[in-house]
Amino acid sequence: MRPLTFRKLFFQCFLLAVILFFVVILALKFGAVPVSLYALGRDLLRVLLGQSSQISSDYGLIIQNIRFPRILLGIIVGASLSVAGTSFQALLRNPLADPYVLGVSSGAALGAILGLIAEPHLTLPPALGALLTPLCAFLGAAATITVVYFLGRRQGQIDSTTLLLGGVITASFLSAVIVFLMSTVNSSNTRGMVFWLMGNLSTSFQKSVYWFLAAGFLLATAVIYASANDLNILLSGEKEAMHLGVDVRRVRFVVYVAASLLTGLAVSVSGAVGYVGLIVPHIMRLIFGSDHRTLLPTAALGGAIAVVIADTLARIVVAPNELAVGAVTAVVGAPLFIYLLRRRVA
Amino acid sequence: MLPRLHPAAFAVLSVFSCAAVPSHAQSATYSSTEPSAFREVVDETGRSVRIPQPVRRIVSLAPNLTETIYALGLQDRLVGDTDQCDYPPDAQKKAKVGGGINPSVEVIASLHPDLVLMTKSYNRLDTVHSLEELKISSYATDPHTVVNILSSVKTLASILGVPDTGVSVADDMEKRLEDLQHRIAHLPPKRVLFVVWTQPLISTGQHTFLADALRHAGAVSIVNSSQDWPQVNLEEVAKLQPDFLVFAESQPGDASREVEKLATLPGWKIIHAVRDRHYAVISDAVNRPAPRIVSAIEELARQLHPKAFAEKPPDANKETKKETEKENPVSRRLAFAPFSMNPSPWPHGHTRFTGGCLCGR
Repeated sequence: MRPLTFRKLFFQCFLLAVILFFVVILALKFGAVPVSLYALGRDLLRVLLGQSSQISSDYGLIIQNIRFPRILLGIIVGASLSVAGTSFQALLRNPLADPYVLGVSSGAALGAILGLIAEPHLTLPPALGALLTPLCAFLGAAATITVVYFLGRRQGQIDSTTLLLGGVITASFLSAVIVFLMSTVNSSNTRGMVFWLMGNLSTSFQKSVYWFLAAGFLLATAVIYASANDLNILLSGEKEAMHLGVDVRRVRFVVYVAASLLTGLAVSVSGAVGYVGLIVPHIMRLIFGSDHRTLLPTAALGGAIAVVIADTLARIVVAPNELAVGAVTAVVGAPLFIYLLRRRVA
Repeated sequence: MLPRLHPAAFAVLSVFSCAAVPSHAQSATYSSTEPSAFREVVDETGRSVRIPQPVRRIVSLAPNLTETIYALGLQDRLVGDTDQCDYPPDAQKKAKVGGGINPSVEVIASLHPDLVLMTKSYNRLDTVHSLEELKISSYATDPHTVVNILSSVKTLASILGVPDTGVSVADDMEKRLEDLQHRIAHLPPKRVLFVVWTQPLISTGQHTFLADALRHAGAVSIVNSSQDWPQVNLEEVAKLQPDFLVFAESQPGDASREVEKLATLPGWKIIHAVRDRHYAVISDAVNRPAPRIVSAIEELARQLHPKAFAEKPPDANKETKKETEKENPVSRRLAFAPFSMNPSPWPHGHTRFTGGCLCGR
């Protein structure tokens, strides 16, 4: 393995961070309410100088309360899905692994839908009522992860093929349950369910949710990053890794749980945004190589960039209506994935 | 008004419906008693249909059509309806053929209907084809405006052999709508956001009967979309700042709970109507293109333009009394006779809405 120089890592991340910054500026500019770059720059300066109270115009309120939180959500969701995808791919030594294939997203969607069905029957205070659906989505993701994890175990060890198959089967089973619920449950809430399946960033959350998401993301990513070296060694094979002194079982368990946590967090606020966890790590690997010490942070930034761009498109393509961001990522992601796959084969 | 289902859902549902279509050989068994005559009509989707006369056995595949049949006093001929047909309460006791989107064609056939009634936006063309295979006549309505609903009621009444009742029901609806216009026509319309769903925000487009119903109630939707059920950007709402949010609720308290929930969210707090709790709640009858929609329109108009109703009859009791009289003119008493036994006389009982709206529950 080539030694990792801090300068190289810093340079790569800095480059992506600059791109992300410009993408965010553009995402802030475009939307239902037109904003000039000049006004945006001026107000950004005010915020930086701690004079945000001076921004009183209507559009300022819209940007502060609707557009910026949404972009923030896109960054966290994109980065989480991308890091989760990278980790699953390394763990299973299978480039096809991602949160969707493993059924985690379907579990989260089912959780969310159960929450939607149950909500009218529970009398909850409004603040808690708004949190019920994401909470149920997270629980759904966590439950699915546990089930798939045990399905994937063979003689006390995780078997990549069994785990992947278990995930695929679980995903299709859960999808069937969702379809069953949608066609039988007589509730006004079914209308919103469809949108959970497509992925959506338009939901508004309380401020605490953003802090919770950011903290969860940083914690889980830090845990995975601590095992970055072990993941690199794992790529050369499990036995080899074991001989080189890597505690394979521990690494697997820790990274698996952390990556699942990331997926659960992302899906609980956005529904099923597909292909980000699959495509972004692939592209980053092509550009920056497969050393996980650089791949993990670059994939996180790349995922954020991808989702913010996709969501901006979802907002402006049919404005003032919206598309589901999951539709945009799938339309762009699927052909890209096939291209990458063919290239690999060739 | 078909909900946009997940493609997988469609695939699964079509598999169900295909499985339910019996072969040609079987179909002979299902032919009902030989009708004496047929009537050729073109339904509202432009399909020409042969309907046996007289129509003695009807299956309704949409809640609004079930309500219309009851309004025409033909409930004794209704031999089957869907799981979503919950109004009037008596409709729940009819034989059920499944959901409007995925009815069991086998059950429909076993009821030997002379005619199956459908609504284009709610039912699927597949069901029509399956019924055609079994030589069961079906007629589909497709109302896009309140006026369409009136003419739809009249046409249905004529096909079912009760044209006079149809005219009187439609005339009564028209009269109530005209009375309403006299009260509110001079007032500027309120700018409203009709909320179908909040997270994500889904509203109604300009070409739905719902948007037209809003116009009749002295309201205009701020959403200008050619899509029927568009997902609307919250920024757009914040920019346009509607005077009122309008909710159609199936259970009392749903809407107020929803608004309190929205008021805790940063994105929604900046909508003035949410901040100031300016919202109108009407029964989900507004979601159904049936005679009862007029009551929902009146309800909404009252909440949006209270002054127009406060001026003339200052006493609230008088108002209710007048309303009851308007409900039961002599000409309609015949049509509604079966409901006189009912504790909440139709079509004015807004107390019992237990789900089942046309928007595809």
